[in-house]
Amino acid sequence: MKWGVVVTNFFYLARGLEVTAGIGLTVMLTGTILGFLVGFMRISRMWLLRTVSLMFVELFRDTPLILQIFFVFFGLPALGIRLNSLLAASLAMTFFAAANAAEIVRGAIQSIPHGQVEAARSLALTWWQTMSLVILPQALRRMVPPFMGLFTTLIKDTSLAAIIGVFELTRAGREVVERTLASFEIWITVAAIYFLICYPLSLLTQRLEQRLTAEAGH
Amino acid sequence: MTYQFDFSVIVRSLPILLRGAVLTMGLSLLAILLATVLGVVGAAGRLSRWRMFRFLAAAYVEVFRNTPLLIQIFFLFFGLPGIGIRLSAFGSGLLALCLYTGAYNVEVFRAGIEAVPRGLREAAASLGMTSFQSFRHVILPVAIRISLPALGNNFVALLKNSSLVSTIGVVELTFLANDLNAWTFRSFEIYGATALIYLCMVLLLVAVLRRVEGRLLVYIRRVA
Repeated sequence: MKWGVVVTNFFYLARGLEVTAGIGLTVMLTGTILGFLVGFMRISRMWLLRTVSLMFVELFRDTPLILQIFFVFFGLPALGIRLNSLLAASLAMTFFAAANAAEIVRGAIQSIPHGQVEAARSLALTWWQTMSLVILPQALRRMVPPFMGLFTTLIKDTSLAAIIGVFELTRAGREVVERTLASFEIWITVAAIYFLICYPLSLLTQRLEQRLTAEAGH
Repeated sequence: MTYQFDFSVIVRSLPILLRGAVLTMGLSLLAILLATVLGVVGAAGRLSRWRMFRFLAAAYVEVFRNTPLLIQIFFLFFGLPGIGIRLSAFGSGLLALCLYTGAYNVEVFRAGIEAVPRGLREAAASLGMTSFQSFRHVILPVAIRISLPALGNNFVALLKNSSLVSTIGVVELTFLANDLNAWTFRSFEIYGATALIYLCMVLLLVAVLRRVEGRLLVYIRRVA
């Protein structure tokens, strides 16, 4: 056992962690924005918007994220779109996050009883007023736990960026292993770092979920 | 120089890609089976009367759900030899997939078991069944049916996650796609086709799960 290796390479791993956090936060933001857009398209009255958004969601939810990353990084240059590994991984993860976020948005909005839409309509509210004053205030609360679950998944999935050579926590760990051969110690440490970020998020998600179900029971 | 698309390469690669698809299917089905067993055992642990079992099961679930699968794969394959445990690439890949999905299955089964109407347990007890008999013959059959939709989601995730074992050299669909990409330099066509094959496998699995749900849920409507 060479646990000293963990101490001497701590700052190297920390630099990787910085990038992991950067990708994670970026993708959370871009994925959420795009996800809301696609989610609203899914419940649109226009057939074309519904079909396009459905295809987007199925395509990115039913294929492995790693292949999406490969496709963006290795495949898109064929269309003249050349991205460096960091951008390619972030773009692929944004699409992946958006597809999952869209289903959360759609699910939450559709979980609000339809009678409320009808009530709003009979009060002569416009579509936008119905959404912003009646549906969304309730739906947004229901979206919080699944969105936090998605964010936890995204943080874990940033590790896939290492496969196309992005220097982040997993890549940093791999490089330290190659230099020191202390694979057992380093991989446990890297796993522990991810755990320390994801576990509090999971706990918070469970709390919020329990609170929402308790409220729904009244 | 612009890229010349050559979709005939997909036709020529198809036999290899389809062989990869079969390998991915086989690996995933094996992992689904083992992860389901692990889920049941873990759920029994989480609901056990003994604190020790409850703690161990909870620790297992939290550790494996809150670390990346890729790190688990690397740990089993590259890390364990450091303490003298050597697993083959296939062994570590399969084990990581089982442990990761198993942790999610534990939570699904636990929720399912807790959702079984209390009266069933009491009825089993009043018939003189031991707690194991009641779990095995009364609670579990109902709990599995309640858990099925959420369990199906985990199976679909497993099928997609199985692509990660290619990183340690297990030959399956993604591994062969990487190989074909290296031979042909046709990244767009090869990865595009591979993604579509995964899409088909996922849709197939979803269709199968729907059918099974339809069959089994007839029974649950009568019970609950």
